[in-house]
Amino acid sequence: MLDLAIEATQLVKKFPARAGTGDKTAEDKSAPKTKRWPFGKKEPKAMFTAVNGVDLQIQRGEIFGLLGPNGAGKSTTIRMLCTLLEPTSGTARVNGFDTVKQANDVRRSLGTVLAGERSIYWKLTGRENLEYFAALYHIPQAITKKRVDELIERMELKDRANELVEKYSTGMRQRVAISKALLARPPILLLDEPTLGLDPQAARNLRELIAQLKQEGHTILLTTHYMEEADQLSDRIGIIDTGKVIALDTPEGLKRRIEQKEVIKLEVTGWHAEIGDKIKSISGIENLMSHQQGEADLWEVNMQAQNSRTAIPRIVEHISSNGTRLVNMNIVKPSLEDVFIHLTGKALRD
Amino acid sequence: MSSELNVRSLAVPGFSADLQALWAVVRREWTIFVRYPSWIIALFIWPVIFPMGYILTARALSGVDGSGLTTFQNRTGLTEYVGYIAVGTMVWMWQNIVLWAVGYSLRNEQMRGTLESNWLSPTWRFAYLLGSSIPQMVSMLMLMLVSGLEYRFLFGVHFSGSLWLTLLVILAAIPSVYGLGFAFASVVITLKEANAFVFLVRGIVMIFCGITYPLAMLPNWMQSVSQWLPQTYVIHAMRTAALSAEGFSAIAFDLKMLALFGLFWLAVGYLLFNIMERRARQTGAIGQY
Repeated sequence: MLDLAIEATQLVKKFPARAGTGDKTAEDKSAPKTKRWPFGKKEPKAMFTAVNGVDLQIQRGEIFGLLGPNGAGKSTTIRMLCTLLEPTSGTARVNGFDTVKQANDVRRSLGTVLAGERSIYWKLTGRENLEYFAALYHIPQAITKKRVDELIERMELKDRANELVEKYSTGMRQRVAISKALLARPPILLLDEPTLGLDPQAARNLRELIAQLKQEGHTILLTTHYMEEADQLSDRIGIIDTGKVIALDTPEGLKRRIEQKEVIKLEVTGWHAEIGDKIKSISGIENLMSHQQGEADLWEVNMQAQNSRTAIPRIVEHISSNGTRLVNMNIVKPSLEDVFIHLTGKALRD
Repeated sequence: MSSELNVRSLAVPGFSADLQALWAVVRREWTIFVRYPSWIIALFIWPVIFPMGYILTARALSGVDGSGLTTFQNRTGLTEYVGYIAVGTMVWMWQNIVLWAVGYSLRNEQMRGTLESNWLSPTWRFAYLLGSSIPQMVSMLMLMLVSGLEYRFLFGVHFSGSLWLTLLVILAAIPSVYGLGFAFASVVITLKEANAFVFLVRGIVMIFCGITYPLAMLPNWMQSVSQWLPQTYVIHAMRTAALSAEGFSAIAFDLKMLALFGLFWLAVGYLLFNIMERRARQTGAIGQY
């Protein structure tokens, strides 16, 4: 029998659709009529399905990466797991506890870092924040000071622990937020975009910390925008798009899915959509994506090919016959990003 | 595998843990409160400025020789018109501050972005609202004390009543004044904005509860409405306790009414809070700005 830290079964979350979102595909017009006292009947509400039948089984001690573009349902899934949201249907268990019926047991089992840096009090010092949250997490007073000191030391906050958080850098605030999540030494950590907004060095330090926490026995559910981060840290990765987990495997397993393909990366000037359409029509070419680099007329164009040897002459032909200049070309092995593009048809940052 | 990977939580749940959390909320709220220096203005200046307009109006209307004050005395049984106005406006300020401070306490957390991180913890939810109200009660008591001293020494008000009875009235008023604040806080977290409602409530208190005039001045139908507002009893009881020597029996009815109103508004506040908490988990309102 699997020893599961987190288990979600057919998790669904629907919200009333916002007016003017234009996301007709995600609306559920079959939602029941709602009443609002004292104003009587309302029109049937269009519903937006943020999470649409997610199944997850996360084993103890693993780092599980949840990848998806903005609006894919990552944060909504995390919010359901940490009891901030109740699912519309389906069930979730964290550390063996039901997230709706045993919400307090779930909260005691979790340390959660939500995206953004405003989860702590800026008018309190780092130490005051940690002491405050230690009380909220029911840590006995007798051990609070020792635990807070340990975390301050570990997070390299000792010199500034007694300064107001409003004077901290983004990286320091994130370290306080992570310390807060670790205070009660919970078996399971939910980290929602933990490196978002950090400078490269701070992000690297944080990734090292996450790896250490796994070594110490914590189970970690990590959502991220950064493919390299997910690839480097995760034992397994779930790719979520339009509210559904569309692939779930180890990073290597995911990459194997398209290992027979090659990725062609071009740098060109004078690019326009018409050339892209012509290249897409070449047999064996798929998932072509282009984006401008900076303000100069330099474009990066990526595509996946069944056979680059036969495709490249035709690609070059289309480029040169349309006044576009080829600056650089590389053929590389598929990365996790390419897997993502292959599965979803869009880049992670879309 | 699981035994090797089992991380033991340090949390020890229980009633004393919830009390410790409640105390932590009180300390947090108080620490943040004193770090904003504007509280000094609220404490020392506002209680003098706010009733000043009413006091000067009363002085003007009483005539050059103050003969109009006899009419006031006949209506109210009190000679101390400055104290009369000061007590009325103080109760109005109290309710007004509670509506803003307690009513918007959860909303302010929501806008700061800290509400979700509080909600992630296993602490008793009502502790956040209760805990943020206690420092507010303390600051309000300080404000009343400072106001009393200011009225005594700046305006020469003679408080001929009993300090203990006045404190008893304040104590009896707390459940209804804060119960309304709790109910308000629960509504605000869902509606996001309730300024119009604050203005309506404090307008009703201003007109119907007689903060600067006796209720006898109101038409009968308005006096009937006044009877359903706890602030009417707070104002009457506090004036009697602070400005007259009539004793406990003169405020016994007010205290009884305040106990009933207190039970009602605390129950309404607690019920609305629980409905809001459940609804917020269904709609995601906790994290929405």
